[in-house]
Amino acid sequence: MKYAKVYAEDVNVGDALPDLVKEPIQIQLTRYAGASGDFNPIHQDDEFAKAAGMGGVFGHGMLTMGFVAQSVTDWAGAGRVRKIGVRFQGLVRLKDVITCKGRVLSKSSKDGTHLVDVELWAENQKGEKVVTGKATVSLPSRES
Amino acid sequence: MPIQINTSVKGKEYAPYTVTVERGRIKDFARAIGDLNPFYLDDSVGAASEFGDVIAPPTFPITFKDDTADTGTMLKDLGVDIGRILHGEQEFELHRAITPGETLLCRPKITDIYEKSGKSGPMAFVVRETAVTDAKNELVATLRGVTVVRL
Repeated sequence: MKYAKVYAEDVNVGDALPDLVKEPIQIQLTRYAGASGDFNPIHQDDEFAKAAGMGGVFGHGMLTMGFVAQSVTDWAGAGRVRKIGVRFQGLVRLKDVITCKGRVLSKSSKDGTHLVDVELWAENQKGEKVVTGKATVSLPSRES
Repeated sequence: MPIQINTSVKGKEYAPYTVTVERGRIKDFARAIGDLNPFYLDDSVGAASEFGDVIAPPTFPITFKDDTADTGTMLKDLGVDIGRILHGEQEFELHRAITPGETLLCRPKITDIYEKSGKSGPMAFVVRETAVTDAKNELVATLRGVTVVRL
């Protein structure tokens, strides 16, 4: 169930996070520009992006990172992410189908804090990775 | 001919600035991503939660900008046109949840600049870190971003 509370005991190394699929279109890039304050015309103006040698408009890296972060919080819950870092590997074009994926790398518990490290990536419809990264989430325990 | 960038910006600390976290901004940001998590959007869910209010999504601190220290200012310092940049990497360390109404202090610094040759030619990497602290001077978040400049 989406947004179900996840406890540290429920998570095992190797578990896959549920896939999150996104299909960004121009209006989403425009909306993200307004919400984030990143008005770089390279994400809005096809002629500008072509003149800059980028072959046309592409999505904000931060929008794709937002998708990836959502795949973590859909699974672990809002407010659980302690650290998230990504490397932008490829451009996201309009109407690409982006699938965010993840896998549990490790678990640790210390002084009542239960941390889980996950590997993250997002790929397009051709299977090319556009983002890779990692996150650390802090999960509640059934015992405390 | 590759362009030259002003590498003396390395180590530059920008003047600290404050931001106030706005409820509507959190919701607009979550909706722009298409993330309809009720912990971001529903005030009653937020009020009943352990956080006491709606909270910001993990990447929300990217909105903590100021005209005196934003990407445009950094590009001016570097002598780089906006059409030349790409986002290389981004990291957020989040020490606690961020809720509406808080006023936070942001301190950006250019921590490193280095050049490398990649598939598409020579590139410069500009690393910027921003520490975000609250009214009690406790660290709330740390942002670390790498901007790639196509030289």
